This record gives sequence, structure tokens and C-alpha cells, in this order.
Amino acid sequence: MKNEILLLKTLLLSTSGRNIMKYGRDKKKRRKILWGMIGTGILYALLIGVCAVMCFGYGTFGMIDSAPVLCALMISAMAFVFTLFKTNGYLFNFREYDMLMSLPFASKTVAGCKFLYMYVKSLPWYLCISLAMLAGYGWFARPHFLIYPVWVLLSFFLPVIPMLAASFLGFLAARISAGFRKTNIVQTVLSFTFALLCFFMRFFIEKLIKDDQVEMMLSRVSDATDSAAGFYFPARWFARAVTKGSPLDILLLVGVSALLFAVVFRIVGSSYRNINSALKSHAAAKKYKMTAQRQSSVLHAIAFKELKRMTGSTVYMTNGAMGFVLAVLIGVLVLVLGLDRIVSTVTNGAPIDTGMLQPAIPFIVYFFTGMYATTASSPSLEGKNYWIVQSLPIEKKTLYRGKMLFNMCLGVPSMIISTICLCISAKVPLPNAALYLILGFALCAFSTAWGCVCGVRHMRLDWENDVEVVKQGAAVTIYILPNLFVAMGLVVLAVILGMRMDHRLLALAAILLVSALAALCYRWVMALAKE
Amino acid sequence: MSDKAMLEIRHYSKSYGEGKKAADDVSLTVMSGDICGFIGHNGAGKSTTIRAVVGVLDFTEGEILIDGHSVKDEPLACKRVTAYIPDNPDLYENLTGIQYLNFVADVFNISAAERDERIRKYADLFEITSDLGDLISAYSHGMKQKLAIISALIHNPKLLVLDEPFVGLDPKASYTLKEIMHEMCAAGTAIFFSTHVLDVAEKLCNKVVIIKNGRIISSGSMQELTEGHSLEEAFLEADSDEK
Repeated sequence: MKNEILLLKTLLLSTSGRNIMKYGRDKKKRRKILWGMIGTGILYALLIGVCAVMCFGYGTFGMIDSAPVLCALMISAMAFVFTLFKTNGYLFNFREYDMLMSLPFASKTVAGCKFLYMYVKSLPWYLCISLAMLAGYGWFARPHFLIYPVWVLLSFFLPVIPMLAASFLGFLAARISAGFRKTNIVQTVLSFTFALLCFFMRFFIEKLIKDDQVEMMLSRVSDATDSAAGFYFPARWFARAVTKGSPLDILLLVGVSALLFAVVFRIVGSSYRNINSALKSHAAAKKYKMTAQRQSSVLHAIAFKELKRMTGSTVYMTNGAMGFVLAVLIGVLVLVLGLDRIVSTVTNGAPIDTGMLQPAIPFIVYFFTGMYATTASSPSLEGKNYWIVQSLPIEKKTLYRGKMLFNMCLGVPSMIISTICLCISAKVPLPNAALYLILGFALCAFSTAWGCVCGVRHMRLDWENDVEVVKQGAAVTIYILPNLFVAMGLVVLAVILGMRMDHRLLALAAILLVSALAALCYRWVMALAKE
Repeated sequence: MSDKAMLEIRHYSKSYGEGKKAADDVSLTVMSGDICGFIGHNGAGKSTTIRAVVGVLDFTEGEILIDGHSVKDEPLACKRVTAYIPDNPDLYENLTGIQYLNFVADVFNISAAERDERIRKYADLFEITSDLGDLISAYSHGMKQKLAIISALIHNPKLLVLDEPFVGLDPKASYTLKEIMHEMCAAGTAIFFSTHVLDVAEKLCNKVVIIKNGRIISSGSMQELTEGHSLEEAFLEADSDEK
């Protein structure tokens, strides 16, 4: 146990901003960390605000009893999804693996501590949700005073089971891929498969519930969350513990979390060295025969370098390319199953005329293609290799253009496929479809350039693990969160405006506006390149 | 020299995809008090063997014993008596030097007095005492290498494994490290290190192992191997015999 605590403490200290603030001499770096802390604090406050408003809504409409289940489900879903995308970078193939494994730590200790590190780092997000909802629940339900400490205590255990489940899936992907020669590619494909299965799981579950003829189940949100707790036991245990004060449910949540942790890391530990050996060591084929070489432009060379950087990292690949893959998948699904059916599934059978959605098609596609811009993380991903591009005779603006070209190469084809599929399925007239493609292109250009602004302005090169940049970097957070909300807002706005004005006119106006924004962001990137 | 085998590698092989062997039937023994140089071309299999010895790399064929313990079956017992210095140490950059040394000392359960004495001694020898309060991210490559060496010596290991230890060290630090290696060897520590610098190996080692394409092509005491020639000549001769 002493070793576990020591390792966890060191892992946390080694990535702590406070340590850098205390011992670092670089004022610029310290200032950056301070702003990062302030930014994170603002995001925590926003999350608390959103959850409190949600809970207030539940209370106002007399559904406060569903708040504990909703809280448990929100935390569990977040913990599962976030861990699924991070687990490969944190648990396996991390930079200091050799150093740690050469010290007298058991494999399961290293794997377990890496998991606990991931848990501690993400815990504040889950506590923000939980405590905000506890405040709302306390305000409306006026529970017994003992419920407060029980709720707070169990909040620490709520994310454990979903995080363990996601880690185990990551372990399975790594374990299976360790048996293949192209380890990285197999691991990436498996991670994608697991992530996509989880993404579509919601609809399968709802289908199952509907097939069970549970009457009017989805007519009210509180019923939906309560029914979800029916098949996700930890949410039920949490809800019973805080609404009925059931000691059995408290014990179940705590006990099962601890037991699962022990079991999962016994299994992971048994193959840990084998997996990391496969991921970190590569055979030299020594088969290359010198052939005629081809010359390409500087921009193409940079874009190609970006492609190899992406395909070489499972974490980068699964996070960076997920939106583009989803865009294509959604497009194909809509084409095969029909837009009506998909809309009906997503909205739980709400009576929506799919014709209304036509003007929103470019924004629906953008929701996926703009989900992640590789330009937001690629400047930081240069990391310790930054000297290579710095020492080459390349202007910064050329470097950034190459990075933007790469993101466009990923985004535009997936946007075209997805938009065409949606337009065919929604029976969009040809001129409108052409305008939607142009708008889609403008949106891709905007997300690429805006991502690059975030990436350059918040460039961080001194990271230990890809995940710190790809998933948790300031640049990525600043890009993703507002962009996600704006994309959702644009879908709604396009539907509303589409009911009042001509679709072509609306698309033209959007093209002009988005193109102007994209041009503005591009100029900003070029200005940053001169600094 | 003692007659206790501190490191025994028996028929160790490591295969990668398509059956390509990075190490093929490697067998060698390093006795207590030996300084054994492990030399070979780039990609010959030196680092693959070293990483398996220190328990970082998994392997399927053969056996590696450290102080009589199997690396596969008793990894912790092996690691407790071993210290490893990689060729390019990846340390925790956001810790200060002293925080990192304390972390390693804690892992090996070194008392406060002992760690204090050893850190002072080695940090003074490598002239980085005044830098220990700075973040490792501010260190040069050579300073990181020095810190990795100090962290390896902090628990007084019975087996010291080093992968290209002289790369990045300034001449004075190289000399200091060689002196420390001699001192440890006299105290009974076994040292196994890879190097490309044959002059260093010739002056430092009493035993040499030459590896090529994953297979050991020559091994023995320095005297046996050189027989009046330089190590460089012996290496080139062994290398050409294998072609």
C-alpha cells in the first residue's frame, strides 16, 4: 500500500501546475499555468451552474426525486466516455514506462496507480456535478441531514465502476492488438469499434425498452432516467442510498467498486508487461529497397507528417478522427435507414417533419466534422520534437498552413459524403444541396482555422503524455466546448429560420457569414505566425 | 572477483512480428565484481536484451536470473537489487531533481540519513547539487543523465545495468562515472553496460560480450578476446568472421 500511495502521489506531483509555479523560473510558463487554473475554475463554475439549473428545473416541475438518478447517470456517462478515450494513453505505452517498470513496482501497482491518477484528475468534474445537484436536491426535497454526507461520500465512488468498465475495454483492445504485428492500427480500430458501439448503445437500449411495451415511459424525462437506473445498478444503488438512506445500497456501491478495482487490475496486471512490450517495441523489417523518390511541396510534406503523427498514436487517432468517422457513419445510416426513422429514434418518436431539418443539414454534419479540429492539438503535439521544424527553413505560417491542410483533408471528404447522403435521404433539391456543400466547406475551413488559433495561442510543448494535449489541453478544451454548444445552437437556429425564410437565401447568408469568420480566423493564425 | 553469478541470461530470445528475432539464444553470465561491456552495431539487440534484463520488456524464450531470482517469476526481488540507467532517461520533468531522487529513495525504502549521505556524495561528484531544487524540465540532457545516474546509485544496487551511459556526459562526468564504476565493482557490484565507445570498454571492462543481429558472436574476458590486439581490432575481426 505504501508503494501505491507513493507512486500515485508522485504521478500527481509530476503533472501538478502548483509544482511548476513553486519551483519553475520561467515567468511566462507560470503565467500560463495561472491562466489555465483560472480557466479551469470558470469551466467548473459553468458546469456547476448548468447542473444547478437542471436540478432547479426538476424541482420546479415536481420531479426532484429523479435528481439522484440523473446525477448518477450523468457522472457515470461522463466518466465512461472520458475514460474510454483516455485509457490507452494513460494505462499503456506512456513515456516513462521504462523508468517506472525498472523500479520495484508490481505491474498491477503501476497499472492501478495510473488508473487512480486518471480518477483523481477527473474527480473535480464529477464532484461539480454531484455537489451542484446535491444543493438543488437539498433545496427542494429537504432530506434528512445524514443524506448530505452519504451523498458526498458516494460521489467519490460513482465514477469508479464506469471508469473501470472503460479501462477494461481499453485493456481488451490493447490485449488483442498486442498479438498483431500492426499493433497500433489494430488497437485504434478496436478502440473506434468500442466507442461507436457505446455511442449507438443508447438507441439500442431505448429500442429494447420500447419493445418491452413500457407504457409512456419516454413521455417524461424523469421516467426515462428512472428506467435507465433499472438496468444500470450503480445508479439505482446511489439513488436508494440517498433517498431511502439504505445501508445495503451504500455498501453495494462502495463494495462493488472496490472489488471490481481489485479484479480488473489483477487481470490487467497479468498482461501488463506483455501489452506494453508489444506497444513500445517494434521490429525493424530491414526489407526496404531503394526506389525512385518523389518530390512534394512543403505543405504536402507537413500534412503528410501530420498524418503519420496521427496514425502513430491511438489516443490522437480515436479522439481526432472520431467526429469524421461519425459524420460518414451517420450519413450512410441515414441513407440506408431513412432520415425519418433516424430522426424518430433520436427524438423518441417526436412528430418532427424532416423537411424542416433541411436547412440544418450542413450544421448537423458540422456537429460531427467540427467536433474536433486536429489543428487545436497539433502545434502542442510537436512536443520535444519541435526543434525539428524550428531548425528547418520553414516559416511558421507555412507550418500552420500544412497543419490546416491536413485537417481540411480529413474534414472535407467526410463532410461531402455525409452531406450528400443526408441531402439524398431528405430529398433536398440539387441547387440547395450544392449550397449546403459550399456551406459545409466553409464550416470546415472555419473549424480548421479557429482550431489553429486555439492550438497556437495555447501551445504547450512540455507534456508527458499525448492525452494531456489531445484530451485535456487548454487549446482543445477552448476549441471543443464552445464549438459544441454553438453547433447545437446553429442546428436549432437553422430550423427556426428555415421555417420563415427561403432555404437558399438562408444558406447563402450562412455561407457569407461563415466564410468571413473563417477568413478572419485564418488571418489571425497568420498574425500569430509572425509573433 | 567473487564467484557469485549476479546476472545469468540463459538462451534468451525475443521475437517480434513475422518471427523476426531481435535477440536469438543469448546466454551470458556476469559475476559479482565484474564490469561487463556489451558491444555491437546499432540495432544489434543490445537495448532489447538490456530492457528484458531490467524487467521492462516481456520475453517468451529463455530465462534471466538476477542474484538467483527469475526476472519472469520474481520481478520485484530482481528489481530491488538492480539499478537501470536508460540511454535517454525519461524522468518526471515537472518534479525538481531532489523530489525525483526522494521518490526513488522512498521506493527503495532508503532511510533519511542514508539518502542524505548518498545524494550529497554523488550530487557533489557530478556537480549538480545547486541544481537539485530546479525543475527537471530545466535540465540539459547531460544533467538529466547525471540525475538518472544518482537515482540509480541511491540504493547501492548489486547489479547496475546501463545503456550507453557515457552519451551526453561531459568529460569530467564520464571520468567520475568510470571511477564510481570501479569503486562499486571493488565492493562486489556487478556492472553490465552497453557502449559503442570501444576505448572506454577496453579500459573499463574485465569482460566483453559482442552481439550481432541478435546473436552473441564472441564473449569472454578482455584478455581472451583481445590477445594482444586492441578491442577495436578484436571487434572488427569477430564482425567480419560473421559475415
